[in-house]
Amino acid sequence: MYVYIYDNFLRQKNFLPIIRSMEVVLTDYGIAGKILRLQNYTDSKAVIEDEIKRGAKTVVVVGNDATFGQILSRSANCDCTFGFLPVGPNNTIAEVLGIPIGVEACTVLSRRRKEFLDVGWMNNRYFVSQLRVMPSKLEVVYDERFKVTTADKMEVIICNLQPFFWKRDKKDKEQRVVHPQDGKLEGFIRPLTKSGWWGYKYEEPSIFPFEEMTITGKEAFAVEADGKLTKEIKLKIKLAHSKLEMIVGRDRKF
Amino acid sequence: MIFQRSAPKVIEEENDQINNQSQQHSQDEVETVVGPSVSVEGDFASEGNIIVKGTVSGSVFTSKHLAVEVGAKIVANIRAGSATIAGEVKGNIKLKGSLELLATAKVLGDIEVKDLRVESGALLYGKVVMLGMDLSEKPIKTKTFKKTEEAAPQFVG
Repeated sequence: MYVYIYDNFLRQKNFLPIIRSMEVVLTDYGIAGKILRLQNYTDSKAVIEDEIKRGAKTVVVVGNDATFGQILSRSANCDCTFGFLPVGPNNTIAEVLGIPIGVEACTVLSRRRKEFLDVGWMNNRYFVSQLRVMPSKLEVVYDERFKVTTADKMEVIICNLQPFFWKRDKKDKEQRVVHPQDGKLEGFIRPLTKSGWWGYKYEEPSIFPFEEMTITGKEAFAVEADGKLTKEIKLKIKLAHSKLEMIVGRDRKF
Repeated sequence: MIFQRSAPKVIEEENDQINNQSQQHSQDEVETVVGPSVSVEGDFASEGNIIVKGTVSGSVFTSKHLAVEVGAKIVANIRAGSATIAGEVKGNIKLKGSLELLATAKVLGDIEVKDLRVESGALLYGKVVMLGMDLSEKPIKTKTFKKTEEAAPQFVG
């Protein structure tokens, strides 16, 4: 049995036609199912566990990167298969998973090509695509073996599925991409150096693949994981191997 | 591709191509990068290639290639598959493959390597041991002429 979790933004009128046509295609394929709507304060884990008890085998997230992150950050360890139907803007994870945006995604879903994905574990929740620590004075310890420090502030970006895009500076037109490898989390450290009176300038990034990392700051620092912002003083990041069973497309990037 | 020669005429060109290919290959496999203005302390180990542009202290280990770029500083013992050094290294280097010291390299420490290439201008202070030398073979004794009375020409009067 399929359960579809729609993001709240899909209520907007401009998304109605695409949602209608998706529902028609899903019915044609014989994989239509119960539809749930995601609210801001919905505990996705409780909802999904409830549906699993009622016999749900596949939970399909319908929305964008934020929806994907909001649902899977809590419920990645649920005993079911996850699917994804990307709709609207801000869909970068879909490309990594090899799922086309819009109605064509239903075909990928119907083919049920399943893969076990690694997910990242951050303090008390999962992250699937990317984690970003905003620029602050930090100390990073990798795998309890070596310590990385910079003279001033640094920004840390941890990539699991999503590639890391960066530019040397604002004038740099060429966008550089680093694709994360499978079986490891990729940590990108971008030190900031003072430029002029007020400004800061990004330095070239350092890249460290790892399985466990601890980030400590003298002051609380902001962390954005799968689009959700929190404040932390110590962050422990780990890799959870093959935690998530996901329906993916043939053109996936891993 | 149309303008590419079917067979390179000069052997040097062939070697250059191989070098370029190997460089490209190593660039494709880049896994760990220590950027400039970043300092790493501790046992720095990686399963893939390492590029150092900043500072590393402690120890460095990789089974693949290590590249120490200009301006980089390593104060550590290094164990790697192969290495190209253009920066500063203080510590012993032990490699399974080749070591290339570029013109800007400064190495202070002992080196154990299979294949060594030193560019003019590179600075090296330490003992170099190259693998492949069979030490069980006794060194060939060269005859030395002793300044004895026997050896001296005798004139019978």
